[in-house]
Amino acid sequence: MKHPLLKLEPLIWLLFGQGILLGTVLLTPWVLVVGLAIPLGIVPADALSYERATLLASHIVGRLVLLGLIVLPLWKGAHHMRHTFIDFGGAERDAWVAPLLYLLATVGSVLAVVAVIRI
Amino acid sequence: MARNAHPHAMAPSKPGRTRTAPPQLPDRFPFGGRYLAYTLFDLTGILYLLLGFLVLCTVWSLGSGEAVWNGALERHRNILYIGFHAIALVGLIFVGIRFFGFFPKAQPPRVGPVKPPPKGVILVGLYALWIGVTVCLSIVLAGGVF
Repeated sequence: MKHPLLKLEPLIWLLFGQGILLGTVLLTPWVLVVGLAIPLGIVPADALSYERATLLASHIVGRLVLLGLIVLPLWKGAHHMRHTFIDFGGAERDAWVAPLLYLLATVGSVLAVVAVIRI
Repeated sequence: MARNAHPHAMAPSKPGRTRTAPPQLPDRFPFGGRYLAYTLFDLTGILYLLLGFLVLCTVWSLGSGEAVWNGALERHRNILYIGFHAIALVGLIFVGIRFFGFFPKAQPPRVGPVKPPPKGVILVGLYALWIGVTVCLSIVLAGGVF
């Protein structure tokens, strides 16, 4: 019988690949503006006032962008961390490390769907 | 008339033992020579996982009301958050440049009946997408439009 993770490998690789491509593309402006420009005062804080942020995020495009911003990096991170762990000699422990990391990404993804719906 | 020999007529009765060396890490792994970029690329996984959960917390706070949202934005002013985001930005640029560099080389010669565009075109397209989305989304987030 195939290990369940092997069956899921195509899906995991799809999410991993999109995590690198779309995750990087979407995270760059988020980190630039929300992570750096607003906290450093380069952009006024009211650019993301509660009313405006809610307006942007509650649009269908806004919800999809936010979902991609959370879910894709989580899967890229989980899969890359798994391989880092293997590369550093953890191949024997992969049987529990891989499910743990993917479980973390799954829980994060489910919470992301909830977070985007409840805006 | 002679028959053709069976292709496995001369095969040994049982397979011979294959001698294989035990797997071992290359001398320069993990931070020597070309392994440095490989290992750093692997390690960006931690950065992406943290960023994913940080964005999740921020978006969650937006759904929890104005006071919680303002608190989340205030937390982003903490020097640790700013430092993390500065490192994250360097990591994102590193991943982008590295991944976009080998993405065109990884394309198959044909996808069904279609030939992929030349490598240069793919590379320019990827950078145009990255820069275009970064500029547009940054303007939206910074209040330039909408």
